[in-house]
Amino acid sequence: MNDYPRRITLQEWDAHYVQLREAGMREPPYGGTLRRHVEEGDLRLRTLLFDNSSAALRLWNFLLTEEDRLREARTAGKKIVGTMKDLGTVPVMAYALPNVVAFYPDGAWWIPCVMELSEGLFGIADSLGIDEAFCPVRAMLGAFITEAHFPVPDLLICSAGATCDDFSAIAQRLNGLGYPIVWWEIPHRRIPDPDEERVELPGGFAAPASQVAFVREELERLRTVLEQFAGVPLNDGALSAGIARANEVRRLLAELRQLTFTAELCPLPALEMLIAEMLAIHFCSDQAETIEVLRELLREVRGRVEARQGVLEADAVRVFWVNPVADLQVMNLLEDCGGRICGTEYLFSHALDEIPENLPPMEALARMALADPMVGSAADRAARICADTRRFGAEAVLISRIPGASHCATEGIIIAEAVRSRLRIPVLEIEVPPLSDSIKPMLRTRLEALIETSKELRKTCCVPE
Amino acid sequence: MKTVVYVSPFVPQEWIAAHGLQPSRVLLEHTKRVAIAQPAAGVCPFARAFIAFGLSLTDESAIVATTECDQMRRAAELLAGESSAPLFLLNVPTTWQTTTAHRLYISELERLSAFMVRLGGKAPTKEELTDVMLRYDALRAEIRGARGSLSGRAYSEAISRFHREGAADLSAARAAPLARGVPLALLGGPLTGEHFRIFDLIEEAGGQVVLDGTETGERTLPRAFERRRLHEDPFPELADAYFGTIPDAFRRPNSQLYHWLKGETARRGIRGIILRRYLWCDTWHAEVQRMKEWSPAPVLDLDVGDDDCESRAASRIQSFVGMLR
Repeated sequence: MNDYPRRITLQEWDAHYVQLREAGMREPPYGGTLRRHVEEGDLRLRTLLFDNSSAALRLWNFLLTEEDRLREARTAGKKIVGTMKDLGTVPVMAYALPNVVAFYPDGAWWIPCVMELSEGLFGIADSLGIDEAFCPVRAMLGAFITEAHFPVPDLLICSAGATCDDFSAIAQRLNGLGYPIVWWEIPHRRIPDPDEERVELPGGFAAPASQVAFVREELERLRTVLEQFAGVPLNDGALSAGIARANEVRRLLAELRQLTFTAELCPLPALEMLIAEMLAIHFCSDQAETIEVLRELLREVRGRVEARQGVLEADAVRVFWVNPVADLQVMNLLEDCGGRICGTEYLFSHALDEIPENLPPMEALARMALADPMVGSAADRAARICADTRRFGAEAVLISRIPGASHCATEGIIIAEAVRSRLRIPVLEIEVPPLSDSIKPMLRTRLEALIETSKELRKTCCVPE
Repeated sequence: MKTVVYVSPFVPQEWIAAHGLQPSRVLLEHTKRVAIAQPAAGVCPFARAFIAFGLSLTDESAIVATTECDQMRRAAELLAGESSAPLFLLNVPTTWQTTTAHRLYISELERLSAFMVRLGGKAPTKEELTDVMLRYDALRAEIRGARGSLSGRAYSEAISRFHREGAADLSAARAAPLARGVPLALLGGPLTGEHFRIFDLIEEAGGQVVLDGTETGERTLPRAFERRRLHEDPFPELADAYFGTIPDAFRRPNSQLYHWLKGETARRGIRGIILRRYLWCDTWHAEVQRMKEWSPAPVLDLDVGDDDCESRAASRIQSFVGMLR
């Protein structure tokens, strides 16, 4: 039993949960009310608006119980790999092994938001010399020290090279504190020279064959590391099966994104879509369950689209969102201001594109790793954003700067210029701290201006090239 | 002859010279910055100065930018679209402990060679490269040998001039030992032309830089070439001398930096470290606290912003040296 789709508060979810249970809703073992997460410290939930479907409830519960899953995995004798920075590549390899669970400690960057700074992670990072000049991912350091948010992994693997300086520096600080890290190099993706063999990558970028070969060698090195770590071989057959499973997740997400971003009425709020997309990078520590969670979400969305039901006003402005927000509440705010998300580039579009299955698995993974939007030029990233903006019919682009992030200092300018010149639609750049309450009125004003401008442009029927 | 300009120590000047081009590891001007369209918050002042410098060039020069840090990598992208000078982006791997990383660096030098040939240079024979390497190696040895007879500033300026012009000007060297203040190490990223004043500030406060660990200084001199390997095949030896041994904070892991610093600190009796970093330079910023925890000698964190305030730096240096005296 689901009500008409809408966004509801935590308080409304309390009553709604009872109704759903009485109506026979069946939940996985990690199910339960959203309220219990608040009681465990996830205070930000009190201020968010949630989708009212049981599928969304399952999604939220799946996300917010990851720590339990990791601890259960350890108790069950599984080995835990902390994969860092590459956002999507190494977990595909790790989950191809039977006794390994992989997760991103990077994900700790949302903890200060979700727990409304009650956890003290930034304070610990400060004490280690990693202050607010760094991206909020510095919370990861505190999470390692306290061990209160995830178990310390048995193995840490981190990509370095063409990455943001913040993360690289923070990971090095972690290493300096005595946490061993296996580093692997991801080179800056460049345009192939005219006399070089060119390889097309998932997502539409291209790279020289020599760079793909280099990354493949690096991943081969990691394969050996993982084999020794797990004590079992990681052969091509297992890797291919792992890629197929990862692709199943990606196909579900692709359909979910296509339906949600292009439906006449928005069938699923931005926040739930953000979380769903995040599942692609490491499957929230349970690949099989990720698939089930996404299937249920997709069923819900399909049903809503068929029934012509949505969670937002019909005239909501279609916005393409660039970079993840440090404060989840801002996704709600965009919708409150009359916007809806129609396209995203949350720094991991390479984790959403299908991995080629017609290639040797390591070659396919190397191509995927090099398709990371962050390892190439900002112009490349801008081109992808423009293409996807056009594909999903977005009317405006919103670039959300991450405080302190090295790439945000200049890439926003390049992306904004590309969008303006190629698509001739409004672009807004905002900066969102982990808790944005103090600047919420300012953010609201800027978002409303973007929405109003976009609506005005509808009158002039501005058609992108 | 076309000049090839760069700021990274991982661009071997011999490689450029051997192609018949003029290498110049330039000193940027801190005060000559470019106003990147808003918002410019978060852009490292050195990267901004690099962009300003690149924009001032004509096609008489060529730029070699590198990937050691995200900001400079992205600065290169901005320049590639705006500067009149042709630009080559050299991918310097961050990792260094694997053969694949070394091979990538070598392949990048080969790509740089092709770029220089397109500029009008000529790929050197083994003999030509060997000759150039021996010449530069001898100049570096001469400069290293003069360390004890030059003031901290003069020594660092001599290194910088060598990088810029390929000449060893040691005219300021004295036969008599120099008066010594509290022996200090200066550590951090690159200096700009104006920033050599820091050596004077340190001396005025009663200290002396006996180890220039900035990117501009002796830390980034490649090791001396091994003669046997040089004569067997100069190119791999060139690559190894640069990529294999220059310690830096951006490398992963950056244990080489600490290993080097430990040895030099002990050898030179260093009693304090001044870590000078640009605002928004995450790479060096993240090392400050670790350095403080690691170093037996006290560490002063000296940040440099867009509007460099000398009086503030002087005051902090005075307090620091005063504490050590």
